Amino acid sequence: MHIDRYERYWLIAVAATLGAFFATLVATLVVFGVSLPSPAGRVDPQNLSASEFAQPSVRNVGGNRYEAHLVAKMWQFEAGEEAGSPPKIRVPAGSEVTFYVTSRDIIHGFQIQYHTVNMEVIPGQVSQATVKFNRPGVYQIVCNQYCGAGHAVMYGEVIVE
Amino acid sequence: MQATHVRPAPVPVSFPALDMLRSERNLVGVHIASALIALTVGIFMGPFQAFHRAPAFAKTFIGQIPVFSYYYQAVTVHGVMLALFFTTLFIVGFSYYVVQRSLQRPIKGVRFAWVAFALMLIGLALLVFSLANDVQRSAVLYTFYPPMIAPAVFYIGLVLLVVGSWIAAFLVFWTYNSWRKDHPGERVPLAVFAIIVNFLMWFISSLGVAVEVLFMLLPASLGWIQTTDPQVARALFWFFGHPLVYFWLIPAYVSWYTMLPKQAGGRLFSDPLARVAFIMLLLFSIPVGVHHMYADPGVSQVAKFVHAFLTFTVAVPSFMTAFNIGASLEIASRNNGGRGIVGFFLKQRWNDPVVAAQLVGMLLFLAGGITGLMNASAQINITLHNTSWVPGHFHTTLGGGVTMTFFGILYWLLPMLRGRALFSKKAALAQAFTWLVGMALFGFSMGEAGLNGAPRRADLAAAPYISTEAGMWLNGAAIGGMILLVSVVLLFVNIIGTLFFSNKPVEVEAPIQTKVEEPSPAIFERWRVWIAIVVVLCLFAWGPVFAEVLDFNAGFNAIPYTTSGAPLR
Repeated sequence: MHIDRYERYWLIAVAATLGAFFATLVATLVVFGVSLPSPAGRVDPQNLSASEFAQPSVRNVGGNRYEAHLVAKMWQFEAGEEAGSPPKIRVPAGSEVTFYVTSRDIIHGFQIQYHTVNMEVIPGQVSQATVKFNRPGVYQIVCNQYCGAGHAVMYGEVIVE
Repeated sequence: MQATHVRPAPVPVSFPALDMLRSERNLVGVHIASALIALTVGIFMGPFQAFHRAPAFAKTFIGQIPVFSYYYQAVTVHGVMLALFFTTLFIVGFSYYVVQRSLQRPIKGVRFAWVAFALMLIGLALLVFSLANDVQRSAVLYTFYPPMIAPAVFYIGLVLLVVGSWIAAFLVFWTYNSWRKDHPGERVPLAVFAIIVNFLMWFISSLGVAVEVLFMLLPASLGWIQTTDPQVARALFWFFGHPLVYFWLIPAYVSWYTMLPKQAGGRLFSDPLARVAFIMLLLFSIPVGVHHMYADPGVSQVAKFVHAFLTFTVAVPSFMTAFNIGASLEIASRNNGGRGIVGFFLKQRWNDPVVAAQLVGMLLFLAGGITGLMNASAQINITLHNTSWVPGHFHTTLGGGVTMTFFGILYWLLPMLRGRALFSKKAALAQAFTWLVGMALFGFSMGEAGLNGAPRRADLAAAPYISTEAGMWLNGAAIGGMILLVSVVLLFVNIIGTLFFSNKPVEVEAPIQTKVEEPSPAIFERWRVWIAIVVVLCLFAWGPVFAEVLDFNAGFNAIPYTTSGAPLR
């Protein structure tokens, strides 16, 4: 089978480029510690009161480290606030927060604007992500997976002070 | 006597270059006509959504025009009608046409083709009925993830569409087999080779969504089962979801590889390497679906790495296509008197709507391919996933490369179906270039809005979290939508004009190759070998994923169903 000389060069260049892309991908994940969501446990969405999500809350676990347990439902994130009001999570600048999120009903999304937190929130599964908030400001938590009529008003805020 | 009996090869059917046989016109015509019905229902919902999401436009429409309160319904109609029905009906009709003409023989078992068409048409009718009749519960979007459950007719319609396409696939295989018996040792024309690849891939991958719909969603909507597992459903869906995009793309590649070189005034640069590209698409389009699930909590990082790697591999055939088609267009431009890089662009047949539409599609597809590689890079994906960047990306691939190529095909196929010339070349050219401008602006603006945190599929008119920057880009996307609306009107000028008002005879010949000009290795048509490799690759890439998402200890997760319209607070 005849392969043109220039096409051969092209294929080598393509393979090298794609190889470099993949190497970059592996490097960011392994060397720089960017992580993708991966299995962090399962819960029974019908019986969250018997799980770590019984009382959604944000708590300091020592120093600048925090743990946030949030429950998503149509169309609200619960983080210990009064029913009906979107969560406002206050942490000082430099805090490292680990989010644990699950869903009470259907699939939701959990993204923090301008940060590397972006997860599907699936009933029965625990989504986990750790992020460091370096710069003070107000960052929106957005439900980015379609969850019915009130989807666009499902949000929260991280207030970095 | 019987042992030595040799069946005489049938005399090839000769198809007229500027006309259609009656049987051909009927069969291809009904598919294209119903594809255009789905297109009409779906396409006007596009600009509607863009206006709804843009701060500068939303206030003008919402509350003023009653229909504008149905945002998620519009998204569902747009996705189901365009991505599922328009594409599938068009592809099946186009495939029948190309297979018959390339092999110079009628489709085998043509009465089954009519059964298949009837199933798909009933499917279309059921979907329109479901979307119009049960507006709230049908708004599950075209990805229909559980535990959100639509009415049963919604799923039954989808099942009929897929079953119809399976029958079409088997008729194509059957026709090929009978051709093969009469032509031992010969290579099949490239167009048919690609269509076989496409239907093989489609059949294997749609088994995933078939299991999801038949065993999880449909029984739930009928009330036969009460619980589901959304993580398992997502894995089954994406086993199918990525090959689906290649199912749309391969027919466009058929046009680029086997029709465009001649239409542009040149010839195909390399037939065997085109076949290599199609085989790679067959092998690597299925074991990559987890790149849609980088953000899923139930799948481990190792599986995500494996699928990321294979996704970069499946980019190779598209790079090969870029070279091969680029070289073919280079030959065309030289034949037209072009020299150098500037000549390459200037000496294309920009004044021929069939060519211009496809070139516009390619320009958009370049952007789509590059953004696709960005999405595939898992570490970048974490900032893009489910933002409006994603629809920005796939509107340049499906809404750009694929759709504009299908419109380019329509500009010669529709006249041939009607037996009259294209109504207006000028309107067709204006359609292609307004689409280029509109879709480029739309895609870029949606991408920027996504980078500024605007989610996809959200009725952003109501959203409290849209920043000024994101709002500005969403306005840009709405302007893109407006230009696209003009383009759609121009498209319909030609559809209606050609069907009812054109009185000139057909001018453009059917661009079908019946001969293979360059030899290629026989292994390329050893389909059993390729299917076996597909199965092995799928077991390797998907086996661990399913082992992970299926919870063998807890059994099937008890997640109750709900409907999209049901508020819980």
